[in-house]
Amino acid sequence: MAIITLPYRYLERLAGTDRQTIIDRVPMIGADIERIEEDHVDVEFFPDRPDLYSPEGVARAMRGFLGIEEGLPAYTVRPSGITFSVDPGLAGIRPYLGSAVIRNVNLDEEAIESLMALQEALHWAVGRGRGKVAIGVHDLDAITPPFRYIASPRSRSFVPLDFEREMTMEEMLADHPKGRDYAHLVEKFDRFPLIVDADDRVLSFPPIINGELTRVTSATKNILLDCTGTDQKAVMTAVNIICTALAEAGATIESVTVKGEEMPTLAPAERVVSVAECSSLLGLSLTGEEISRLLRRMRFGAEPDGDSRVRVLVPCYRSDILHDWDVFEDVAIAYGIENFDAVLPETSTVAQEHPIPAIAGAVRSVMIGLGYLEMMPFTLSNERVLYANMQREPAPGTLRVLHPISEEQTVVRTDLLPLLMEMLQANKHRELPQRLFAVGDVVEDCVTSQQAAAVSIHPAADFSEAYAAADVLCRELSLSYTVTESADPAFLDGRRGDIVVDGRIVGVFGEIHPAVLGAFDLEHPVAALALDLTAVPGYPALPGTP
Amino acid sequence: MELTLNEKRLLVALEATGSVDAAVLAEKMDARREAVVQYANLAGERGLVDVDKHVSRRYVPTEEGRAYMEKGLPERQVLESFEETIPMRDLQRHPLAKIAIGWMRKKGWIAIRDGVVEKTGRTAPGPDEAAFARLSESGAIEDGVGVGDLVKRGLAIEEETVAYTVSITPRGRELLSGGLDLREEVETLTREQILSGEWKDLPLRRYDVTKLPRRAYPGKTHPYQRIIDEMRRTLFDMGFEEMAGGIVQSSFWNFDALFQPQDHPAREMQDTFFLGERWPLPAGYERVRDMHEHGGETSSTGWGGTWSAAKAEQCVLRTHTTSLSIQHLASHPTPPVKAFCIGRVYRREAVDPTHLAEFEQLEGIVMDEGVNFRHLLGFLKEFYAKMGFEKVRFRPGYFPYTEPSVEPEVYVDGLGWVELGGAGIFREEVTAPFGIEHKVLAWGLGISRVAMLRLGLRDLRQLYRSDVEWVRETPTYGGRR
Repeated sequence: MAIITLPYRYLERLAGTDRQTIIDRVPMIGADIERIEEDHVDVEFFPDRPDLYSPEGVARAMRGFLGIEEGLPAYTVRPSGITFSVDPGLAGIRPYLGSAVIRNVNLDEEAIESLMALQEALHWAVGRGRGKVAIGVHDLDAITPPFRYIASPRSRSFVPLDFEREMTMEEMLADHPKGRDYAHLVEKFDRFPLIVDADDRVLSFPPIINGELTRVTSATKNILLDCTGTDQKAVMTAVNIICTALAEAGATIESVTVKGEEMPTLAPAERVVSVAECSSLLGLSLTGEEISRLLRRMRFGAEPDGDSRVRVLVPCYRSDILHDWDVFEDVAIAYGIENFDAVLPETSTVAQEHPIPAIAGAVRSVMIGLGYLEMMPFTLSNERVLYANMQREPAPGTLRVLHPISEEQTVVRTDLLPLLMEMLQANKHRELPQRLFAVGDVVEDCVTSQQAAAVSIHPAADFSEAYAAADVLCRELSLSYTVTESADPAFLDGRRGDIVVDGRIVGVFGEIHPAVLGAFDLEHPVAALALDLTAVPGYPALPGTP
Repeated sequence: MELTLNEKRLLVALEATGSVDAAVLAEKMDARREAVVQYANLAGERGLVDVDKHVSRRYVPTEEGRAYMEKGLPERQVLESFEETIPMRDLQRHPLAKIAIGWMRKKGWIAIRDGVVEKTGRTAPGPDEAAFARLSESGAIEDGVGVGDLVKRGLAIEEETVAYTVSITPRGRELLSGGLDLREEVETLTREQILSGEWKDLPLRRYDVTKLPRRAYPGKTHPYQRIIDEMRRTLFDMGFEEMAGGIVQSSFWNFDALFQPQDHPAREMQDTFFLGERWPLPAGYERVRDMHEHGGETSSTGWGGTWSAAKAEQCVLRTHTTSLSIQHLASHPTPPVKAFCIGRVYRREAVDPTHLAEFEQLEGIVMDEGVNFRHLLGFLKEFYAKMGFEKVRFRPGYFPYTEPSVEPEVYVDGLGWVELGGAGIFREEVTAPFGIEHKVLAWGLGISRVAMLRLGLRDLRQLYRSDVEWVRETPTYGGRR
């Protein structure tokens, strides 16, 4: 999530209120206060509201929420007369460009830092790590329009930001820190995106790095903004958010002609919403007038359109408004979530236990009756524990996760017994006897099913104890079963049995093989059992499995 | 005063002599001396006898010491084996030469010059020999000069003897004179004793209630499972139906059906466990595709861009049980539906005390005619109150598949307001493709967090890789904090 630093002095000036009011009320527009410091507060905003990733954006929202300034913020855009061409050769590489000219900026060190922070937060939230959108700001007075966005040979060289010498773009991917971080976004292309001015001087190698030539400093008065990317809508979201934030700070915005089109317009989108739909979603009986008033506090333009509709103007920076309900959520926030009366609906329904947890509950009561203690081991395990330690072959349908995070958790368990053995190992220093059981999910071939397993460790644990427990469990679960000699290598030959139901082996019990005991570092005999619960009468097929 | 039979027998044995050594008493009572001392201590606590403990030391020869008892210490034996002088070479042939030569030199009995051993004439017996002589005569001695040297040489060892003298007190006498019932005490009643009524006349052994019993450990449900069961009961009480489903889900059900954009960060491999397997898309998946691309038939714009079927087919370990909720709604589109699920969900996180790659999530959904945002808050308040969180408040929240969304916070003593789960109304982009015509209230929370609060855990791993001792010692009831 994006954490935004809000300096009090700047914020107070922009918002027209004191810091305490802001700290108290900002959570109610959807934010978490992270840290309150001497001169600033760090606030985390949700990923759907990148328009709040700057002090200017927060001040704009707070002025409305606190009733200081309501309704749609007006932004005027004059044409700059500057044109920006886009090379058709970028089609498969990075085809979309958004641009604007921002004049009369007043950039002290704090303002530059805030602009860079906004850029980084947008790279993350809108740009998806610069792949979808990358943003560049340039000192307009250092360059000469018109500008060209081109697909350049990879060998083109220029001086990148923070370097003193010229490098080729290929060298930058290997040697510049930003090049190394973002090389994966472009290295597969034959040509690289490049922005140059009328004199063929380089502004930027998007999405990697700008040229040193156009570095923005506290002396910068006029800015050229470029946003390039693979998604037109996202590119324009970034342009609109940056332009309106700087306009809030006092700059003036001018449009640029990109491929014959004037941009940005910073114009709101219109949406006509239903009063009844809003009321029924929120459970309030609101009039069109009330809805409009609430929406204006959230900085929408809103006027009733007859009795049943409201004409809403959505600010250009509100990229989260996809659907009418998104507008209605803002009605709820302006109304105040704390002001809603919580009620329960009157419809009567009947509870219904699912058979799978019901069977697990039956296993629990039987095993507890036998003196066994329940364990709830992880479902992620590894082949050493599941197979090698148990002297067993890997189950053919074992699911391996593609990018495991540790060697301990590489596969989904296909069997519970090895995890109980691991549990005995972890509890070796605890008083004996220990009788442990578990009931839970196992997965094979993508199919989830349930299993019960139990282990008993003490100096006299033997085949008879395992057989007696397996017999009780089967009888209590209404399983009619027979037993045949087992060939499971985890158990001792001559002291192991398979539980057979309708000709299918559904379980195993007996004395654990001493070599397996050794693998789990255990020193006493273990009597054990495992039972596939799909054999239990009434076990349902799971929904959602193919 | 209720005496044990053994105490009574002890008093009787003391009647004649009044004061006697415990060993003698043991013989008289036909018991071990240690047992008699134990009875005497018990009776002593009641003031019926006095027990005096005497500790005495004596010295007895060791095995080596006993070997020299007849002929004297090795150095004396060797000294007497030759006249005034002897070549060293010859002396060394004596079987005790190894020990003796050293001692003879140490005691100044001999001098060695040019390989010849010569007596010095100062060979009178020292105190050690005197002590050894006494020891040889009596087999054991109390103490005396020279004994210490023998102990150091390993020829004698110290033995500590503890003797107990038991004397009856006047109170004991008084009790004795009143007459004592000396019949055998009964421990476990037999079937015959119960049936015959004989139990009425039997002296029953009394047990000491101040002594702790043997510690027994029952089989029991895991503390975490008890919290899960309590939540299930709460939801049953509120009229909910239970859902269950598979751990493995296609991205379609885990993300796409929930209107999570295909480039959402949660769908990258660093956050989610992807599997190599693929699942075919269900019939009617095109409506989900349309919703993503342009918002379908609703007022939504959708996410734009091109939706990839291949991306939707990739299997994952479910990241939330919402994937089950949407499938349940898709197959039960007629209101009312009130359903819940508690199941394990997976996040690709490095495991540490507060982060796990798998944990339990609870999720509830309500679909009905006319349900709205106030009902959502109503269900949340009711549910949290039943879970023991009386104070609940709501803040705006954000989840990709709900609108409006709220974050419930509960008040926990000592911690303040704690964020606990998320809630909202399913977006129309989620419900419309499956023909669900009514609003769906939904909420979810990670129950391992609740368990941590309730069980006072610092390390979440304790829930899944549990210490047997902790499970044994966590009470079955009343663990609520």
